Formats: sequence, structure tokens, C-alpha cells
Amino acid sequence: MGGGPLAHEPPVVEVRHLTVSYGSVVAVDSVSFTLGFGEAVALVGPNGAGKSSLLRSMAGMESATGEVYVRGKECHHQDWGTHIAYVPQRASARWDLPLTVLDVTVAGRRALTRRWMRPSRDDLDAAREALAQFELVALADRVIGTLSGGQAQRVLLARAMVQEPEVLLLDEPYAGLDIQSSELLSRTLRDMSASNVTVLCALHEIATARDTFPRAIALNQRIISDGPSREVLDDAGIARVFTSNHRADRSP
Amino acid sequence: MDLVSWIFEPFASSFMQRAFISSLAIGITAPVIGVWAVYKRLVYLTDAMSHSILAGVAAAAFLGISLAVGGILAALLMALLVALLIIRVKVPEDSAIGVVGQGLFALGVIGVGLIGDPRALSHILFGNPLTVTSTDIVVQLVLSTVVLFGLWWLSPLIGISTFDAGHARSVGVRVGLLDTLLIGSLALVVVIGLTSVGVLMVITLITSPAVAARLMTQRLSRTIPLAAALGAAAAVVGLVASYHLAWPSGPTIALVAIGEVAVVAVVVLIVRQSPLRLIRTRVPESMSP
Repeated sequence: MGGGPLAHEPPVVEVRHLTVSYGSVVAVDSVSFTLGFGEAVALVGPNGAGKSSLLRSMAGMESATGEVYVRGKECHHQDWGTHIAYVPQRASARWDLPLTVLDVTVAGRRALTRRWMRPSRDDLDAAREALAQFELVALADRVIGTLSGGQAQRVLLARAMVQEPEVLLLDEPYAGLDIQSSELLSRTLRDMSASNVTVLCALHEIATARDTFPRAIALNQRIISDGPSREVLDDAGIARVFTSNHRADRSP
Repeated sequence: MDLVSWIFEPFASSFMQRAFISSLAIGITAPVIGVWAVYKRLVYLTDAMSHSILAGVAAAAFLGISLAVGGILAALLMALLVALLIIRVKVPEDSAIGVVGQGLFALGVIGVGLIGDPRALSHILFGNPLTVTSTDIVVQLVLSTVVLFGLWWLSPLIGISTFDAGHARSVGVRVGLLDTLLIGSLALVVVIGLTSVGVLMVITLITSPAVAARLMTQRLSRTIPLAAALGAAAAVVGLVASYHLAWPSGPTIALVAIGEVAVVAVVVLIVRQSPLRLIRTRVPESMSP
């Protein structure tokens, strides 16, 4: 697959000393890393390691200290959606609403257009184009509650791609998918990376992480290891990340 | 008496014509916003807000200012106190709504009692469309138009922010402001319904047609007009029936709206029991956690 940071390219994303706390609990503790142009990176770690908090703060949805730079410029709230698209966990959305696939997909255009306006013809065309890219165009008028898990995940990806992002953050997109849907998702993420979208994906499926993403970051409040996924996620690496417990270190 | 004259005879008098327009305005507006109240699970908040409005109405009557303005202010005060209890004091949402809503309702009942007119309380609680004035109608029509237009304009935004508030925030949608606008509009709708169906019965027009419409179709583009049609039908049929039966009109309109839910629910149950259920869509895998 494509990807792999090129030595002469500046990083697309640079995260410096990012810290997320909830009251006295530190979820992400001074994390720093860079992501290269079109890189595909797996973010792994046990439950409660701070993966979601890290992604959400990078997407501008969670207040954090530290800085996120995109192409050397510090990211401010108003331009988060235009550079960085966030795909939340599927279970966090209300799939019982009577919305269509097109209604949901066109939401991504809010990052680019006037936010209080109704979707324009251009917005709808862009959404249909994104649906076509994910082989979902036949489902455009389907009610979202009738989709399978794999289809629903692809709709959320299409919604993110409508934002024309440089960076895609995904929070456990593989959860609950069958093998076929997982493979399709991996292929899609590889294609995105090949077309120069930088992908950072939180997941629990270690084999998928090794096979799909050339690089892995192991997180448990802090970065435990960062490098080629085959090394970060070998038996010793997994043992290291799943037995590290920085939160306990910090308790009085 | 044939059916046509049974329907049209009541509207010979001008006060019944005004009652008709007033009931129709709330009959359409309440179910349209009700679709969102149902989907956003704001029904209990709206119910408590409608109770709270009584305190504002009583205060307005004392001060000699517009009852509608008093009602809106009370609803806003209620929403503010509930938000304070939930966010600052960390009281669970439904408990906060129960405490504040019933507290203001108790104040309102005492306040209206102090006004001295024993009919005043039942007018406010259950409405009396026969007392609607021409000014009331103009105010109700203007407010209804504003609310309906606002909901039409914002419905794509409300839809996506209800579906996935996190993503909506990440693309710059002001989710909190949208919710505030929606709750404010619900308060306006309760006030619009004050004279015709009353603060206690308006919640029925907000929820019942929306619930019935939701059972009948899965698409938002059909749910909203269907709810409006069911609400309008309940308002007109209820008003005519109350005239002939000499029943209070607010509760009669409410009963018709509830009857619509009952009929649709029975049909749904029958369809689910029959072989026809095979053509129903399967339970989506994506809805399971």
C-alpha cells in the first residue's frame, strides 16, 4: 500500500504534548507524534487507554491542552472540519431516526459550506459522488435504520470524505463487522491512504491492525511504542502495551 | 341531521370560526415540532414546561401584562433552572425536570387561585377556544408561521445533529444553540395553544399525531406532513364533536388525537401478527450496540 512518510515531506499532522483530562483523571498524558502525507496508522491500546479522547481532541470535539498542527499551521476550531474528518463509533449515532443515507452523507458538507443554510444542489451532488465512491449510490434514498453494519460504516466514511479532508480519524470502525465487511473496510482505507489521505484508526483487532496499517501507535495514556506495526504489535509489544498502567503510577 | 350540516353547522357563528382557525393553527404547528420532540426525547421536558407556564400566566395576570409573554418567560426560567440543576448541581435530567416543572406548576395554581376567578384556572389548563379574540388569532398565526418556517429551514441541521451530535460539532454545527432554539420553539408552541387547547392538553397535540405518524412511515419527509394532517384532523373533529356533545373542547381534541394513536397502534399490531410482516424491513444490525 502507499503511505510511509517521505523524508523530505513535512508531516501533515503534528501533535505536541496533547493532554486530555476529565476532572482529576488524565485520559491522555502529554502525547506527541507526527503523521506523514498519506500514512495509514493504527492506534491500539486497552479499553480506557485514551484512544477515543485522543481522536476526539484532535477533531476539536474535546478540550485539551497542547497543540495540533496541520501542515505546519496550528489548527483552530473553525477549520477543524475542513482539514480533519472524524468518524465516530457507529454505536454512538441514532440509527433509529427517519433520515436517508443521503441526508446523513450531506452532513459532511457543513464543514465546507455556510453552516446555517439548507443543503444546496451542489452539496447533494457532492454527497452522491462520495456515495458512488463507496458503492452506496443505490442506497442513497434508503432509511438509515435498514442498513447492515458494514453499509452503515461505509456511509459514515462517505460522510467524512464529503469534507474533502487531509486527515481521517476513525474510532473503532471494525467493531461489530463481519469478516467480509472488515476486509472491504481495510481495502477502502488502503485506497484512501494511496490517494494521499492520512488515516489514523483506533481499533482492537490486532491482526487487522498488523495487516492493514504499516505503522502502529500503542497508547495507554502515554505513547508506549510507535513504529512499524509488525514490531509494535508482536507478542512482546502487545504484552507491553496491555500491561502498562500509567494511571496507577499517577495515583497518590 | 346529515353529516355535512353536522360538520358545518357549528361554524355559523363568528366565535366558532375564530375557534376553528385557532385550533387549526395549533393542530398543525404542535405535531410538526412534536415530531422532533419525540425523536429528540424532549416530551417530558415539554410537558413540564407546559405546567411551568401556568406560573408565568398567573404572574402576568397579576402584573396586567400579556399572558403569552408571561408564559414564555416562565418557560425560559424553567429551562434555565433545569439546565442549572443538571449541569452545575449534577441532578439527573428527569429528576431536575420533575422538581422544577411541578414546583412552578404549584406556584401557578396558587397564583391563578389568588386571581379570584374560579374559571380562570380551567381556561388556562384546558383551554377555551370560544374565548379566542381576533388579536389572539393574529398572534397565533404569526407565531405558528415563524415556528413552521424555522423548523422547515433548520430540519436538515436538527436531523444531522440529532443523528450524531459529535460529528455535527466537528463540522462546526452549533448543536447547543440548535437545541436551545428547539426548546424555545416548544415553549412558543405551548403558548400558542394556551387559549385553544390549554397548557395541559397541548402536550397531547405535540406528541400523539407525531407518534401515530412515526408508526405509519419511516421517512422524515412523510412523517412531518402526516403528523400535521393528523393534528389538523384531530383539531377540527375534536372541536366539532365538543360543540355537539357540549364537552370541553381542549380535552375533546386531545381525545381524538389519542384515538388516532390507538387506531394506528392496533393496525400495526395486526400487521405484525399477519403474514404481511414478512414484507416489513428487518431489524438492522447497525442498531444493535
